[in-house]
Amino acid sequence: MKEIKAFFTKTPTGGIFLALILVCALFSSMTSRFLTPTNISVILNQVSVNAILAFGVTFVIIAGGIDLSLGSLVAVCGVVVALLSQNNEYSLWLAIIGTLIAGIALGALNGIIVVLTKVPPFIVTLGTMTIGRGVALILSKGRPISDLNESLNFLGNGDLLGIPIPILFLVLSYATCHILLTKTIFGRYVKAIGGNEMASYVAGVRVNRIKLYVYMISGLFAALAGILLTARINTGQPNAGLGFELDAIAAVIIGGTSTRGGKGTITGTLLGVLFIGVINNGLDLINVSAYWQQVIMGGIIILAVVLDGLYQKLKMNI
Amino acid sequence: MKLKYVVFVSMLMLGFSCNEKKSDKIIIGVSMLSMQNEFIQQVADALEKSAATSQVELIIVDAERSSLKQVEQVESFISQQVDAIILNPCEFEASSPAVDKAKKAGIPIVNVNSSTKSKPDAFVGSDDAESANMAMELIAKKLGGKGNVLMIQGYMGQAAQLDRERGAKIVLAKYTGMKLLASQTGEWDRAKSMALMENWIQSYGDQIQAVFAQNDEMGLGAVQALMDANKKQSVYVVSVDGIKDAKKSVTQGNLDATIIQNAGQQGSEALRLALELVQKKPLKESNKLIPFEIFVK
Repeated sequence: MKEIKAFFTKTPTGGIFLALILVCALFSSMTSRFLTPTNISVILNQVSVNAILAFGVTFVIIAGGIDLSLGSLVAVCGVVVALLSQNNEYSLWLAIIGTLIAGIALGALNGIIVVLTKVPPFIVTLGTMTIGRGVALILSKGRPISDLNESLNFLGNGDLLGIPIPILFLVLSYATCHILLTKTIFGRYVKAIGGNEMASYVAGVRVNRIKLYVYMISGLFAALAGILLTARINTGQPNAGLGFELDAIAAVIIGGTSTRGGKGTITGTLLGVLFIGVINNGLDLINVSAYWQQVIMGGIIILAVVLDGLYQKLKMNI
Repeated sequence: MKLKYVVFVSMLMLGFSCNEKKSDKIIIGVSMLSMQNEFIQQVADALEKSAATSQVELIIVDAERSSLKQVEQVESFISQQVDAIILNPCEFEASSPAVDKAKKAGIPIVNVNSSTKSKPDAFVGSDDAESANMAMELIAKKLGGKGNVLMIQGYMGQAAQLDRERGAKIVLAKYTGMKLLASQTGEWDRAKSMALMENWIQSYGDQIQAVFAQNDEMGLGAVQALMDANKKQSVYVVSVDGIKDAKKSVTQGNLDATIIQNAGQQGSEALRLALELVQKKPLKESNKLIPFEIFVK
């Protein structure tokens, strides 16, 4: 009991964890189809793309930046991996590695412009968001790219030891990001420059280099998300990922990462992603009308963040 | 002093360029709903192809699904004094001002693929309600007039979504044994509709007998989800448009049928009517409906 209490009061993610449990309880009371092993697997499968994006952008947000180009990066990388794995021209590994490199390069482009020009990242990545969408259209000539390598499809829809592969990617990405943020000096620096950039600079942190790295991480995970999305729908689509950046950023913020930077956790982001995913899934299961779904979705998100705020305040007083 | 001179000269040049005589070549402005949609792209391709053969210069712009942008594009066509405008409306009501403005300026305007509230000089397209009607009839025939159906809708509130919903519901009303289990939006998107289908498989499982998707992209998403859940054999899926991927899926025996909307004919007919309007020929028909075709294995 004591441990449970400690979990809720000590960890910054306690609030959203409670909200997630509440929503799950609500849905399982409304339909018996919600809390089944297969449905949980379906939810995890569906959130994998958003989760991977959100993990990457968590670093950017903690470092005090923002990345609006995520959705476009997903599209570009999705198209790139589709082109590379079309008609079995190259091996699947080459296609994947090539795409990941493209993602890192595009992320680096964001980072370099932010660091060199000092233009707010909101504007820089808004620009690259539009450029990226254009590039995806140019590369694909505006058309979906099909006839992809069979093994790419397996990556999106296959199982390994009974676990859908996207879920394995989700778990691996979570572990990597969690360790990177909590157990490495790099992670500490990211939090430091998000908390107080000037002080970190004075303390000898290479602020610009760390900033560049966080955008590269964001780009890398966007590429991975793009590969998974393309594998899942078995086509590369230039208009894929529209609005994904907002879902990812929303998950990060619902998960307790401060929009002003300096603090945040990957676990929180994962809970935020699950929260959004559970609501999407649950609303479909209980068949809420398509018009109302959006209203309810928005309402619940605001409510969750408000509750989390109240909860944090309450925790301070304990 | 120098600046004043520059300003004066440039204004003079501006004046000249406005008065410049238009070339003899016929210029037609085209505003398309979204060039990211494969079907719309096919219509645009057909327009370009027939323009090339009839020596017409086309200015094709992409409204990116925004009717506001579309109205602005038509305004700029009017100020460029194009000979005719071909409009592929984004929305029924909100794109109407584009038609009104062109007519007020005396420039002939042809709507292609979908309609607006204001009546243009000519319309080329297919009746969206009819395509849904045909798809649902196919499903009804397959299920013997009774069974459970799911419907995946397009963007809520768009003319195509509203019409296709209407067409489908007419058939559902006719067969009292057919039950619409649920209908939700897949936003015309393959990934979204795949997730929706996965959720439906969870909530309705073996009750699902057929799916009607309001476009092929969503139909393909549903098929993918059903195949992953090993349920495709028992569920009949029909969608509308006849894009390349969908036809291929039908030939492979995955998607059961697609209702082909003839993009090529819509494009070429729109250009033909626009040209006739420019040459002030009396139109034989100002409302040209291109029939659908059923594509099955």
